[in-house]
Amino acid sequence: MTISWGNIEKILTYGNMFQQGLIVTVLLALCTVFFGFFLAFGLALMLLSDVRPFRYLEKVKTDDINKKKRNDFIAKFNPVKLIANCYVQFVRCTPMLVQIFLVYYIVFGFITLPKFTFFGFIQFERFFPAAVALALNSGGYMSAVIRGGIEGVDNGQTEAARSLGMSKAQTMYHIILPQAIKNILPAVANEFVTIIKESSICYTIGVQDIMFNVKSVQSATFIIAEPLLMATFLYFCLCFPTSKIIEYVERRMRQSDNR
Amino acid sequence: MTTDNTALIKVRDLKKHYNYGAIKALDGINIDINKGDVMVVIGPSGSGKSTFLRSLNLLEEPTDGSIVFDGRDIVNEKINLDEFRERMGMVFQHFNLFPHKTILENLTLAPQIVKGKSKEEAEKKALELLDRVGLKDRASAYPVQLSGGQKQRVAIVRALCMDPEVMLFDEPTSALDPEMVGEVLEVMKELAKDGMTMVCVTHEMGFAREVGNRVVFMADGNIIEEGTPEKIFDHPESPRLKDFLGKVLEA
Repeated sequence: MTISWGNIEKILTYGNMFQQGLIVTVLLALCTVFFGFFLAFGLALMLLSDVRPFRYLEKVKTDDINKKKRNDFIAKFNPVKLIANCYVQFVRCTPMLVQIFLVYYIVFGFITLPKFTFFGFIQFERFFPAAVALALNSGGYMSAVIRGGIEGVDNGQTEAARSLGMSKAQTMYHIILPQAIKNILPAVANEFVTIIKESSICYTIGVQDIMFNVKSVQSATFIIAEPLLMATFLYFCLCFPTSKIIEYVERRMRQSDNR
Repeated sequence: MTTDNTALIKVRDLKKHYNYGAIKALDGINIDINKGDVMVVIGPSGSGKSTFLRSLNLLEEPTDGSIVFDGRDIVNEKINLDEFRERMGMVFQHFNLFPHKTILENLTLAPQIVKGKSKEEAEKKALELLDRVGLKDRASAYPVQLSGGQKQRVAIVRALCMDPEVMLFDEPTSALDPEMVGEVLEVMKELAKDGMTMVCVTHEMGFAREVGNRVVFMADGNIIEEGTPEKIFDHPESPRLKDFLGKVLEA
């Protein structure tokens, strides 16, 4: 197999397709991070919740130490946290490709989506399941980041707020979240970069992203290597500057801590 | 120990155990805190002083025992804990000011969202109190721009803005540079003079002797000796206290 300028020039005539693929990829990543963030935030709050239906067992007084240990163990049970944990583990321990197929063929096999195109070339009935699947996946991963960001705020802040009589919710909203957001935002931006790359497997369900158009150009021209190089170039040009910008902003934010 | 019925806080048999009794941070504390008391708690590190103080507003949940504050058992009764915490101000060793808010916002946030005061009302009181500790001109600064001593004075004011009935101090000068200890103690002295009920865990023996009207000596999760500063410092009885004072006053 050879790589020639002639071939590159030939595939450049399909530039329009690559351009459309580029738009789909970026749009997909944006939607994913946007919806994934809300899912992740909800999951993080679930993971940090303190819903314990059997907490009264802690207070039960008994001289039998084994019984006390058993009671304390049951008192720790938190169903909300358990559900969130199960979800996160499912996302982390199954392949992304399987998740996308599950969503596309099974979930949206039962739900019929309206068929229409937006921006002139994006097929909603393929784009939407892909965005959902990616958001479900990245939400699971991001929840750990958000939980970490919230837990990273010094415990003394919570103590100070609670000692002033603020409720748990008030403490979270006024004190913890504004500080946690500084830890969280750069990680979420990095997730955007990750999703740009990972969304490339969505071509398997027919979303016309960069990779899908690579396949199209390959089959139209019988040129294998050059479209792939083109895709590599495009992905790199998307991810490299973005991650550099994030790095810069992150550094600036750290400096502003010492104002 | 005074046991009149007017005690503001009555602590009975307060216990805090870890690992099912393997570690006893508090091992049955009994004490009454009266209105207007300036109680200073001293003792070697690990004696449970801080745990005791933090139990008083339930930042630390006791294993057993009761704390009766203004006639209600805040450990065992079903109560709105936030309402009680609002009435007990707390000052921490590491200040714990909110770094993302200005000094004025630090002071006015809780009065507004917890007590429902208007912004003007809260700011008026905050500025008045800030003026008293000599920091009125720093109202729009952020906590990082302040020195340790200034931060702690702001932290005291923050607690005072809630009009607490008791002030709890958890080693308020331990994290400060030596030359800044004085300015914080001065504010605390002022408070004591105004008749504020205070419980103060500290290593400042001079402060304990001068300002406290009761000194409590704790060791191994128990109150070993309790009395007036003269009794504790000049006529200690227990060997543990004599040993402790020997080490501390020598330094």
